[in-house]
Amino acid sequence: MKNVRIWFEKDGPARFISHLDLVRCMTRGVHRSRLPIWYTEGFNPHPFLTFPLPLSLGVRGRHEAMDVKLLEDMPEQEIIERMNPCLPEGIRVLSVTEPVMKPGRICYALYELRLTAQGVAAGQVEDTVKRVLALPDIVVPKKTKAGVKEVDIKENLCRYEFLALGDCAGLRVTLPAGSVNNVNPQLLLDAVKKYGELELLCDATRLELYNEEVEPFC
Amino acid sequence: MNPEIETILMKVQKPGRYTGGELNSIIKEKSEVEVRFAFCFPDVYEVGMSHLGMKILYSQLNTKPYVWCERVFAPWVDMEELMREKDIKLYALESGDPITEFDFIGFTLQYELSYTNVLNMLDLAGIPLRSEERTGLWPLVVAGGPCACNPEPIADFIDLFFIGEGEEVDAEVIELYREYKKRNATKQEFLRAAAQIEGVYVPSLYRVEYQEDGTIASFTPTQGAPSKIKKRLIMDLDNLYFPDNFVVPSIEIVHDRAVAEIFRGCIRGCRFCQAGFLYRPVREKSPETIDRQCHDLCCNTGYDEVSLSSLSSSDYSNIQELLEKLLDWSQKEKVSISLPSLRVDGFSDELMSKLKTVRRSGLTFAPEAGTQRLRNVINKNVTEEELMQTCNTAFGGGWTTVKLYFMIGLPTETMDDVAGIAQLAQKVVNAYYSNPNKPKGKAVRVTVSASSFVPKPFTPFQWEPQDTIDTLHQKQKHLRDSITSKKINCNWHDADTSFLEGVFARGDRRLCQVLELAQKRGCHFDGWSDFFHLSDWLEIFEECGIDPAFYANRRRSFDELLPWDHIDYGVTKEFFIQECKKAYDSATTGNCREICSHCGAACWKGGICVEKRSDLV
Repeated sequence: MKNVRIWFEKDGPARFISHLDLVRCMTRGVHRSRLPIWYTEGFNPHPFLTFPLPLSLGVRGRHEAMDVKLLEDMPEQEIIERMNPCLPEGIRVLSVTEPVMKPGRICYALYELRLTAQGVAAGQVEDTVKRVLALPDIVVPKKTKAGVKEVDIKENLCRYEFLALGDCAGLRVTLPAGSVNNVNPQLLLDAVKKYGELELLCDATRLELYNEEVEPFC
Repeated sequence: MNPEIETILMKVQKPGRYTGGELNSIIKEKSEVEVRFAFCFPDVYEVGMSHLGMKILYSQLNTKPYVWCERVFAPWVDMEELMREKDIKLYALESGDPITEFDFIGFTLQYELSYTNVLNMLDLAGIPLRSEERTGLWPLVVAGGPCACNPEPIADFIDLFFIGEGEEVDAEVIELYREYKKRNATKQEFLRAAAQIEGVYVPSLYRVEYQEDGTIASFTPTQGAPSKIKKRLIMDLDNLYFPDNFVVPSIEIVHDRAVAEIFRGCIRGCRFCQAGFLYRPVREKSPETIDRQCHDLCCNTGYDEVSLSSLSSSDYSNIQELLEKLLDWSQKEKVSISLPSLRVDGFSDELMSKLKTVRRSGLTFAPEAGTQRLRNVINKNVTEEELMQTCNTAFGGGWTTVKLYFMIGLPTETMDDVAGIAQLAQKVVNAYYSNPNKPKGKAVRVTVSASSFVPKPFTPFQWEPQDTIDTLHQKQKHLRDSITSKKINCNWHDADTSFLEGVFARGDRRLCQVLELAQKRGCHFDGWSDFFHLSDWLEIFEECGIDPAFYANRRRSFDELLPWDHIDYGVTKEFFIQECKKAYDSATTGNCREICSHCGAACWKGGICVEKRSDLV
């Protein structure tokens, strides 16, 4: 048995597929592709799939991972070619690698946010976001399983840079991610609403996942 | 995707309903097709995508190179609100184009409470509701499905109805349209010609007159339209088109599995059941065909479950052979088989051992009535012994959950019959505890589900008054009070929605104005209890000067001209009258495999009507 990590993108209409539904799509996709995948051996056998870090509904993913167990070795290209016709529009397998890091190593994620606000010029949106991010404390409520708690985004805001995109304000930002501390880019929007009094529309893309050393998760 | 739609999708529940792009959805080049067909399901995506008829017709229409059939569903209330706010017109999922650009807008009518959704979808598309207000050749608004058997309550809105099974007649109408479009014909010219196709009903070509008491005086065809519209049906199911591929939804839907039809029609003649009469005669697919279709579907969709669909799956004559064939590959390929619609008397040890190899869900049976007398009245030929035997088989096989379906408000029903439901459920509980082979250390759960009987056209009960809401409430209370065990869970349908369903099921054209006003008042998703308010409806009826009880609670006489009398499903009115009289005598009628009751369906010259039967051998 061989563990492999399947890298895929989730874009277009597929970004509106929730994580739970993504699991179902991938299960059917793998089943249909007839890849020699290990199935669970319980009463209802199903392909054993794990996702190192789920992606929020609506966010595009440029380099997402799914781990599976192959019963026999198979060339990368064949896996890609068998999987892709079995997936909905917007989900495309890019590459297949041997997993180097365990999912628990994921500490950060890099996002690109395209921010707009109704009736507000891009430059003005950018100025507002800049002003909010420069504040000494940025505290917003975050819903967790244990209830709502206050999170200071400022101390979680690792790196960010503004991008010149023309028709919207572009922000490239690295945020804590993973099972220990996860900051959804939505919290940034909440902060801008709270401190900048500006309701933002956000087209978010997760570009990459990183480990504790901010090296790409692989 | 339209960027404006993308921004609103971030604000709605389950945006995957509105994106399209599912696996196996069919994209064509607009400029290369001549006819665009918007297949509309007047309910939310997860419900519509579960419907087998839509899957069949979608795939079949798209096999024609000149047709592009796309899917449209009713947007959920949150989406509708945003669409109206941003002035986004109702669009089809494949192309994203507004449906005003289509040649056909076709609705499938699965139940009466979706009529307001039909109107609301037209309104959301910016299309005039009334047929007479749409003067161009297209878009043509067409409809089919079981509720088309009484098309009258929505006759003013629909240009053309398909009566019966759609596979052939849809294609014929589209072909005719293609010709008429090429020669720039008018809508009137087209409709007049289409009315000559068997199975097509063009309501604008008929004139209705009423008597003073509100019943129908006459129903007159004009412009050469036929006086009787005969249903269409397909005899040879083995050679009938069936898709080898389904659109696979990316979000979870109600019935998220592959489905194969095993036969059409039903040998039983349950007197309350409209489907049992509409789809006569029984026509079966061969085990080979079903096996191949199931396998193809699983291969092409990736589903790991396939459901065998019919009105009563244990009545399939080769069920053992079929299951053996299916189990041959399904276990190896990790696919499970589900067999819904099992009859109480059709559940054997052998069948159970085959089903056990696959997923174990709860068992559901439908005795329909609590006492033998009432079961004879409705011709549900199931005895208490059979039910007990079946439950014992199931308990011995490890099942602990049994769901029992009943109806209340059936003709001739008394409070004793209602209490009989509780007694029957109690007997099932007792059977569990006295069964030596029951699963160790587990409690039994019996769920009693009581729906309210709604008399339907084309059944022996089409003349019956429906119980009033008050009576239904009393019966529900009596049922609740009659249940004493905590092992029995009881739920029932809302009597208010059943009342409205009853009104529209046997309504006539005068209800069109009611529906029109209801749409204006914001009625939609009436089948969903959150959005159904009887008081709003009663106000609307009053404003229109229409008494809903006239349609729901009135006993009709056998010689009354009924609103659906011009539609012909083969089964004769004489047969229904005879069955109705037999019901009053608690006399039963044998099933089609035992004996021919001469219902009239033999006029179609096929299916079980021409097969060898035990009484003929």
